[in-house]
Amino acid sequence: MANTDETVPLFILLCAGEHERVQMAAMSASVAAVSERTVEVFVSMNALGVFYHGDDQVYQGGEFSQRMLEKGAPDPIELLKQGREFGELRMIACAMSAEIADKTLQDFIPGLFDEIGGLTRFLADAERGQLIVF
Amino acid sequence: MALIAELRLCQIGDSVEVLSSDQGSASDIPAWIAKVRHELVSVEERDEVWHIIVKKLK
Repeated sequence: MANTDETVPLFILLCAGEHERVQMAAMSASVAAVSERTVEVFVSMNALGVFYHGDDQVYQGGEFSQRMLEKGAPDPIELLKQGREFGELRMIACAMSAEIADKTLQDFIPGLFDEIGGLTRFLADAERGQLIVF
Repeated sequence: MALIAELRLCQIGDSVEVLSSDQGSASDIPAWIAKVRHELVSVEERDEVWHIIVKKLK
């Protein structure tokens, strides 16, 4: 059961492909989802490459990324999967970015995305909740 | 996440004890328990390990 009287849905616009930003977006999304908030994550621009299936995956990061890897911080993709398993977390791949990158839903990590969709509808939906941009 | 998975598996009224060396867990878990309306039974630190007991209410 998501969204009690005290909560509103959380909408996350993830554009950056850096590990640190993806990590924070994944943590925010998964914590909100398991705290009975509905969550929608719209993935666009460089962030799309993080979720490519197989060898095409693009992952970049800075100094803090290296530290997180050394310390064994939870993998952001696993966090998003857990958020989807234990809560109501929808993920949408940006239609425009996917077209530019020549990718279809089958090119992304299996079971992670619900659909390829447009920004206009995401922003319209986000009017009824809280929007965070990473 | 391990706590959430465990709570899903156990019965209403059961208690789960979390052991964590992360001080953040000592504040984050009680906050999460309050948000999702389970019962926080106790939070104790022993030898730099946090013992957090949670009772499943629903």
